[in-house]
Amino acid sequence: MLSRSESDIIVKLDGVTIGYEENNPLATIPSLLIKRGEILAIAGPSGIGKSTLLKTIAGLVSPLRGTIEVCGATLPKRPLRGDLGYIPQRLGLIRHASVMHNVLIGSRASMCGSMQIFTPKEAKESARNVICEMGLEHKIWEPVKRLSGGQQRRVATARTLAQAPKVILADEFLSELDDETMSHVAETVVRYARENNAAVILVEHDVSRARELADRLVVMDDGRLNPFISSTKTLEVKI
Amino acid sequence: MISKLRIYPGHIFAALLILALVVMDRSVDDWGTLSNGFGNLVSFFHDSLWPPDWSVLEPRGWPECTASSAVDFTCSTAWIGMIETLQIAFVSTILAMTISLPLALLAAKNVGTFRTSVVIRFILAAFRSLPSLIWAIFFVILIGFGTISGIFAMTIYSIGYLGKLQYEAIEGMNSLPMEAADAAGLSRFEKAIHVVIPESANDLISQVIFMFEYNVRHGSIIGVVGAGGIGYYIERSLFFLAYDEVLAYLIIIFAVVIVIDFISVYARSFFNDDRNAVKRPSWKAFFTGHD
Repeated sequence: MLSRSESDIIVKLDGVTIGYEENNPLATIPSLLIKRGEILAIAGPSGIGKSTLLKTIAGLVSPLRGTIEVCGATLPKRPLRGDLGYIPQRLGLIRHASVMHNVLIGSRASMCGSMQIFTPKEAKESARNVICEMGLEHKIWEPVKRLSGGQQRRVATARTLAQAPKVILADEFLSELDDETMSHVAETVVRYARENNAAVILVEHDVSRARELADRLVVMDDGRLNPFISSTKTLEVKI
Repeated sequence: MISKLRIYPGHIFAALLILALVVMDRSVDDWGTLSNGFGNLVSFFHDSLWPPDWSVLEPRGWPECTASSAVDFTCSTAWIGMIETLQIAFVSTILAMTISLPLALLAAKNVGTFRTSVVIRFILAAFRSLPSLIWAIFFVILIGFGTISGIFAMTIYSIGYLGKLQYEAIEGMNSLPMEAADAAGLSRFEKAIHVVIPESANDLISQVIFMFEYNVRHGSIIGVVGAGGIGYYIERSLFFLAYDEVLAYLIIIFAVVIVIDFISVYARSFFNDDRNAVKRPSWKAFFTGHD
């Protein structure tokens, strides 16, 4: 039987090497455990493989070596529908479609059957609530391409929250936002994680912002994940 | 000393042009036949083609025309044939779109499986390997003369053509929305309906409008083999060596195709990504080149 702390682990990486080509690995993660309700930030210079790590955890890129377990499913087996939410760095919104349509994709993942063509009323209601929470109620039927970069980022976050995921993978999801919107969006995601005991893995190039948001910060450097040690605050890291 | 040989695109083009001229020279037995060509054209134009016989716009003798005299041209062979051609083009485009879209989704590598993709691509290639004129002959033999053969012929060809355009557009779409949907665990079916179609909708609509325009042009020809449309009347005039009537029909087709082309360009401009940035052409600019 699993101990309490073991059953709390929702993402588990064991001896994982990431990259796109066998002879050109980007990074190696000997071990990384993330608990339910934990917010983990990954920082590091650009091009080091942070986004690839997120994509690998999301099951979009196969690891070169090692095993990844997310929500009890070991890749390539996927977690249950809707359990994993991914906000790509370049958002992945359907540009011609409305804000509502984009957010409904998230709601569908948690509320509809996989062969259901029509979206039920409850899914629409849930999508509308998240859109309002993100402060986009006046843009609900606007095509995404007509929104500003910051508003689009909020739509992508809303799509993931509407999915009610157990794990959120967010790739630089706070960039392009003004200070006020950034703190509002960050607060919404953190609140969601706390209230729903969901794990969040953030990729942030801004270390100070990452430290503010996360319970734990790791730095990706030299092809490895290292605990972040600062002179003012030492975070407990279990890698 | 061997100097380094550099090949520029101009060299390749020049080589291809020379090759084309050599191939043409080998295919022509006697260049002398060309010397009479221009003279033949001039006498053919004066003796048989010009002036066009606009009687094709007058009501037919039978059946009796019941329209008022102001619109009695609607009983003419040119009008009836052209309307039939437009009907064939419209019906076959809509039928083809309805059938080709699900096929294109299955054929696209980013939506369908490898197996479905290979099978559907093979079917689509088979459909468009024969031109619509050959399909028209096939259906005329199979079900007889008339519009229905034209509709079937144009539909089959359009499925092949439109399906290819559509799966290429789907494969070229932005992959990020698919990644987000993939991570969320959406099924292939849901991704096709809720992600792929909305994301590539503009391309898909634009292609359908282009296909209609294409079908109007090609629908004018299939009547020659008895598959309905204005081509049927052209073939009849050719049979009686009434080339002045043929010229009148061709001028009418040209005028209609120009108008359809313009409407198509205009309609498609609504579905371009940069529709706010690109200024739509005005009627004046279209005909005069100046706005």
